[in-house]
Amino acid sequence: MKKLFLPTIIALIVFSSFSFNDKYEKAMLKNIELVYKAQTQEDFKTVLNNLERIANAEKDKWEPHYYASFAYVMLSTRAEEISKKDEYLDLAQKQLDKGIALNEAESELVAMQGFIHMIRVSVDPATRGQQYSGMAMQSLNKAVQMNPENPRALLMLGQMSHGMAQFFGSDTSEACGLIDKSLEKFETYKSDNPLAPQWGKGQAQGMKQQCSK
Amino acid sequence: MKTFTNTILLLVLCTQAFSQTKISGIVKDKKGEAIVGANIYIKDSYDGSSTDIHGTFSFVSSEEGPHVLVITSIGFKTMEQEVVLNGKAIQLSFELIETINKLDAVVISAGSFNAGDEGKKEVLKPLDIVTTAGSSADIAGALNTLPGTQTVGETGRLFVRGGSGFETKTFIDGMQVLNTYSPSVPNTPSRGRFSPFMFSGTSFSTGGYSAEYGQALSSALILNTKDKAMMDRADISLMSVGTDVSATKVWEKSSFSGKVQYTNIAPYFGIIKQKLDLVKAPSSLDGNFAIRRQINENGMLKFYGNFNHSNLVVNISDIDEPSIKDRVGIINDYQYLNIFYKDVLNERWSIKTGISYTNSKDDIDFNVENSLEHQKGIHTKIVLSNDVSDKLALNFGSEVFYRDYTLDLESAEGETYTQSFSEPILASFLETDIYTSKNFVTRAGARLEHIGLNGVWSISPRLSFGYKTGENSQVSLAYGKFQQQTENSLLRVNNDLRPEKSDHYILNYQVINTKRTFRIEAYYKDYKDLVKYDDSNISDPTGYDNTGVGHARGIDIFWRDNQTLKNVDYWISYSFLDTKRDYRNFPYSAVPRFASSHNFSVVYKHFIEDIKSQIGATYSFTSARPFHDPNQSGFNAGRTKNYHDLSMNVSYLFRSNVIFHAFITNVLGTRQIFGYEYGNQLNTHGQYNRRAIAPPASRFIFLGVFITLAKDKTFNGLPNL
Repeated sequence: MKKLFLPTIIALIVFSSFSFNDKYEKAMLKNIELVYKAQTQEDFKTVLNNLERIANAEKDKWEPHYYASFAYVMLSTRAEEISKKDEYLDLAQKQLDKGIALNEAESELVAMQGFIHMIRVSVDPATRGQQYSGMAMQSLNKAVQMNPENPRALLMLGQMSHGMAQFFGSDTSEACGLIDKSLEKFETYKSDNPLAPQWGKGQAQGMKQQCSK
Repeated sequence: MKTFTNTILLLVLCTQAFSQTKISGIVKDKKGEAIVGANIYIKDSYDGSSTDIHGTFSFVSSEEGPHVLVITSIGFKTMEQEVVLNGKAIQLSFELIETINKLDAVVISAGSFNAGDEGKKEVLKPLDIVTTAGSSADIAGALNTLPGTQTVGETGRLFVRGGSGFETKTFIDGMQVLNTYSPSVPNTPSRGRFSPFMFSGTSFSTGGYSAEYGQALSSALILNTKDKAMMDRADISLMSVGTDVSATKVWEKSSFSGKVQYTNIAPYFGIIKQKLDLVKAPSSLDGNFAIRRQINENGMLKFYGNFNHSNLVVNISDIDEPSIKDRVGIINDYQYLNIFYKDVLNERWSIKTGISYTNSKDDIDFNVENSLEHQKGIHTKIVLSNDVSDKLALNFGSEVFYRDYTLDLESAEGETYTQSFSEPILASFLETDIYTSKNFVTRAGARLEHIGLNGVWSISPRLSFGYKTGENSQVSLAYGKFQQQTENSLLRVNNDLRPEKSDHYILNYQVINTKRTFRIEAYYKDYKDLVKYDDSNISDPTGYDNTGVGHARGIDIFWRDNQTLKNVDYWISYSFLDTKRDYRNFPYSAVPRFASSHNFSVVYKHFIEDIKSQIGATYSFTSARPFHDPNQSGFNAGRTKNYHDLSMNVSYLFRSNVIFHAFITNVLGTRQIFGYEYGNQLNTHGQYNRRAIAPPASRFIFLGVFITLAKDKTFNGLPNL
């Protein structure tokens, strides 16, 4: 009896905690896919609501905030009015702040910070370039430092450098080197977190094409 | 063993036999309109749903017992409701209450032009100031292209809505600045002392401003300095008029920026001939620093200082006898210090406090006579803001101004005398913003002032309304009483003079889209208690009193568009002004010399990617200005011809960190006349001789190269020009 009891309890605990994680993971995987596939305002709204619910139930998980932040950035790039773009970026920032508060050491979150700054610049380059392009570079460099394997951080770093080099007609080879490196990492880098972000490869391939022109 | 199996079984059954509860309903706003995309869920569970286009929702939850249902939607207050889940379907309807989001709510816009880096509803950005052709990178120069200002080319100052230059007060982080402009040769434009790059936001109010700002009769120029710098950098500028070097060092919580600038216009004047007999061309040495320290998450301490030494010597020939020349020498020493602290105390309370110190000494030689004008001022202020609710905000504070003014005169005969005053002013203000809805706001406030010099107490009420007429349009109305101690040159003769007063009435309509702005504003200003004096004996204090009156009324129109044409940004301003005053030495009510009925300007900026350059052009028109002609009957009865100016500039981005900039004023070389001065004696024709007040050269040309050195090479000076 006693022999059986302990293993069963252990099994039960393991099982229940496994099922708990499994539930979170399943729900997240479903919603991550929804984020990547979202096209319309409604799609985004629905998935953002789903993520909000998960985040509320799982108060120690950074991933829902990361993907909510990403979804808001996507909404921002789709908006037309500058004020609307900024509003979405503010919301993206809010979600990201919550994510960073939960996991300071995550390179993906720091890369997302760089992404938000980058989009801020693109809204009004002339006025915001000075402040935000510097801040974006800072965040992206930090993200690469935290995880040199992070392909998204490398990609965005490459993108920013490429834009600058192109504008001033200077050499783009350094920027393109970063993009090559990011493509390489997109192939090789596998996070042990099943919920880790996957986006950016298509963008990197697009950039690669620009580089080979 | 059996009990254990039973427990397991029970557990399994429990999870299996979840009773499922269907929850459905509808979410609407106060007006009964469906809220789309609201999030409804069981707190701490994954169960929930979003509302559809009709505001309805439905979901099934396997939770049991008492739970909390949460309803959230951006722009509305989050609602919570307790529910019991027991398998019985639940049908609910919710009415969410709108939160007033300050970003899309109505704002008080009457009378003010805001410019900021970040703001969504700004009219001008700091960068715009620098890239406006004809502005010469001077704040006042750029603001002169906005409606409500009158071009008074010989001063370079801001003259707002029939007010003279001294009626515009400058505040840096809310703290007053005395002697805002650098000294200049008489009848040539002076420049503001403060670089536009220092500021992240500018609010230029042409009337009806907040009760927080006092001692300004016509206009308040409110400049907010930048927060902590983001990265280390060094800048070098080489210009046709001088050079400057600046550096910024950043730490985790603080930053330090310093700049040294030397300007000397002599080499330029050596090449381009001026109608000025300069003995010593204007030169100045200027140093400034800014220290920023982040005290906590929201707390920021700023310390700014500006030191300037400038001098010039010019010979001014006599109108009647040009061979007789008066030698005028001006040496100015100037120090300005500003310490400012702002913090958010908690969710509701925030604080701003600071102290500023100005010390300005003008040592003026007129032939062998000497005058030493010395003004010192301290301003200290504390402002508390309380967001009582999202519908009610309070802003109140107190301040002390203290000014010490002395003029020491030494006549040619060696006689000396002194005129001086020390003036403490105490003031408190209280203002409240009441949002009746996100479409209607009322701002009501008052300012209590006590002027120590003459013991006058006063209460100045301010009242404004804003009503949002559409998503991007709104109407505002503003009223306020304003007062200001009169000019030093009068107050020093008679210390008992009371403050001059004006009442403002403003009606404003504006439409602001992201890339287009239209505003139209009508105003009426009623001046009272203006200082009058007897011209025949200006040193007799008893000849001075506060019996002057005046009025100004007009319409200002502004249109800005950077959408229609690609890479093109332009704005058009028109101001109509009708004003008369009976003040100072006026024998009766007349149009003052600085006033012009029509002011029109067009600013055009075009970025051409192929040549990596921004080119700009500004055209300004000012209709005839009055001058007093002793050969004519009547006071201020003469009229100049209209004023035209076409200025152009170009900025070329050579490298990401190297920029070339050039500008030229009055490209067409139009003869610009601001007025006339007359001699004292009748000539052989029985007339008084006159001389035009005009720029010392028909054009001004500027060339400069700006180099930025930063560790991060993607960081560039581009937005700096």
